Amino acid sequence: MDAISIDQVTKRFGAVQAVSDVSLTVRSGEIMGFLGTNGAGKTTTIKMLLGFFAPDAGRVRIFDADPVAATARGRIGFMPETAYYYRYLNLRELLRFYGGLCGMSAAAIRARTAHLIPQVGLVDAGDRLLAHYSKGMLQRAGIAQALLHDPDLLILDEPLTGLDPLARIQFRDLILALRDQGKTVFFSSHELSEAELICDRVAILKQGRLVWLGSCGDIAGDGGQNLERIFLNLLTSDTPEAPP
Amino acid sequence: MNTCCRQLAALCALSLRELYRRKDVWVVFTLGILILAPLTAINPYGVAGASRHLSEIALLLIWVSAAIIAISVAGRQFPPEFEHRTIYPMLAKPVSRTTLLAGKFLGAWVASVSATGCFYLAYGLFSGAKMGIWFPAVFCQAFALHVGFLTLVTALSLLGSFCLTPPANLTVCGVVVGGMFAIGQRLPDMTAGHPAALRALARLIYVAAPHVEFFDLRRRVIHEWGPVGWQVAVAVLLYAVVYAGACLLLAGWIFRRKKC
Repeated sequence: MDAISIDQVTKRFGAVQAVSDVSLTVRSGEIMGFLGTNGAGKTTTIKMLLGFFAPDAGRVRIFDADPVAATARGRIGFMPETAYYYRYLNLRELLRFYGGLCGMSAAAIRARTAHLIPQVGLVDAGDRLLAHYSKGMLQRAGIAQALLHDPDLLILDEPLTGLDPLARIQFRDLILALRDQGKTVFFSSHELSEAELICDRVAILKQGRLVWLGSCGDIAGDGGQNLERIFLNLLTSDTPEAPP
Repeated sequence: MNTCCRQLAALCALSLRELYRRKDVWVVFTLGILILAPLTAINPYGVAGASRHLSEIALLLIWVSAAIIAISVAGRQFPPEFEHRTIYPMLAKPVSRTTLLAGKFLGAWVASVSATGCFYLAYGLFSGAKMGIWFPAVFCQAFALHVGFLTLVTALSLLGSFCLTPPANLTVCGVVVGGMFAIGQRLPDMTAGHPAALRALARLIYVAAPHVEFFDLRRRVIHEWGPVGWQVAVAVLLYAVVYAGACLLLAGWIFRRKKC
């Protein structure tokens, strides 16, 4: 079963065509990078995946279920781009809150919190108020809340924003470890080199259209091209291309 | 505990933490108690009228503080979630928007009732020490109706937070509550002798506006008139529940249609 299925999805906000006829599937257990410039439609697509709003045309399915359904959302872990979590909570309290929202028992939340805080590298900051966290630490807290209920699909919106080089390496290792556990990861990013390193497949969006979709193995074998070169060629060409 | 109860409990705990970890709330509490203590505990010159006048000021202070806390806490439930983007991870969890709204309302309600309860407790203790009568029935009834007032105002402010900016919501709710206290009962009489259209408008406002003055038993507490009949109290509390329910239904309708 595909983790994500996007079928001819279109979304318009007034005069702005945010997403136009995008079709894409993400297989269970793969890491897919969702790339594009600012305003390309990445976040809009992600919001439709999460059921925040419905597409004007086309269909979105998560594990073959409607994303609005609680059963589908129970299998998704989502980290938004730069959220400023509650300043008056510490990380343990934040995770207790999100665990409660997921309907987890207190014992289950405690067990997951004990597992996750070291995993995201915040052992020394678990009892510190989030008001005193740096941007990178808030990103890590965001990853922890996304992983809290042990979801099958992780959707991350610009997860690398604000992370220092060490945190990026830890993030990369974490994502690869999650894939080894059979999780599916779908993330949007501007970081082409990171995407090339960890993604099984990459989709590139330009002005709301899917212009490239391929595996990172294809890139390596494509006449010495790299993802950066492909990205640059696609985005500097005037007309949107169809995905290969 | 089932999933929905856990979700409501989590949202409720978040609102309580948000309120009680703010320094300004503790400043209001401390100042409120410091002002309440002399107003309710002393009997100047042994004159009963002066003592009652001070008690009236103390109860007015409690009402104003409770209204400000309820309006500001309820009005702050959703706008910061959108501003700080924490609404997204929240909506991505397996929780319905109806549960989110119910949990936020419950949290704001519990926060304002607990804060008001502290003021009433202080008032009851100070005036009990002075009068030798501890928490009389009319005082307990006054608190129960005050809880009804908080239910209504919390729902009203929560609804306003979806339609207005936070400062505008605070102002509009404050004006509505203050205005209804001042002229709510006299609204139809004020337009007597005016054109029929104006009278009809005044009647419409009278029916639609929240009658917060129904919940005010201050004079009964001060003059020791005894409690109102239980049927009246139940009817007033029912009015609060129905009005709050209508506000929450409308807020839920807006929230479900809101594009995030």
